[in-house]
Amino acid sequence: MRALHSRQEARVLKLDSSARSSLAGVVWFAVAALASVVGSALGRLAGAHTMDPAFPARLLGTCMLASFVVAGSSIWRMVRCRADSWLLPLAALNLALLEPGRAGDATTWRAEWAVGGVAATAAAVALFGRLLARTDELQRRIYIDGAALGLLMALPLAMAYALFESWLPELRAQWVTISLLLLWWAGWLLTSFRYRYGTTP
Amino acid sequence: MRNSLRVLRAERRWSQAELADRLGVSRQTINAIETGRYDPSLPLAFAIGRLVGQPVERIFFDDDDGGSRTP
Repeated sequence: MRALHSRQEARVLKLDSSARSSLAGVVWFAVAALASVVGSALGRLAGAHTMDPAFPARLLGTCMLASFVVAGSSIWRMVRCRADSWLLPLAALNLALLEPGRAGDATTWRAEWAVGGVAATAAAVALFGRLLARTDELQRRIYIDGAALGLLMALPLAMAYALFESWLPELRAQWVTISLLLLWWAGWLLTSFRYRYGTTP
Repeated sequence: MRNSLRVLRAERRWSQAELADRLGVSRQTINAIETGRYDPSLPLAFAIGRLVGQPVERIFFDDDDGGSRTP
């Protein structure tokens, strides 16, 4: 076997830096999250004043749509940077933002808010499923192991909630979904870390 | 399970990203295989064998072999 200590070989053996790609992914996640928060805030404001003719509800509605377009294009850029795992916390954030209860008392606006939330989640799930089908075997395994770890982490939380139910706020279906998404992401982070830096078996 | 993928890759002057591109996997997968944290599936192991022109059993070997098969 040849010695592997020449400068050229050292360059080849050096780990390829993916830090730039990861940073870009985080930046696009931040932009998407911010645009989602701004979009939902504008939407809530427009919805609350929908009956007030003096209030520029239409303008705010247009700005809301523009914010969601920015969020959507940021998600696309995020996926292009291979930062697809950030879709999980982003979906959790959007589920929290588009909770129908946040839309105020106007029934129509609540329904639109609910449809928006379901549509955004469905789009995220579809995109995520497509990405999962295209990933390589290790990435897929990390996602599956991460989901298993997330479910495992959900058990003590469920038990804790059952124990302290009388002191805690009433559980809502949306919160369960949000928690599961965040736990999946936490599981993904832990599993990814294990495959990258964990001890060699 | 150990392997000599790192050596075989260095002999061909390929970076991890280059090898990953040739195999259609991510760089993280190549890194995990090289460091022994992940054992590839049989199809991927055979694809690696085809790419480097070595039989699978010369690239991947059991710990009990004591590294005697390292090229």
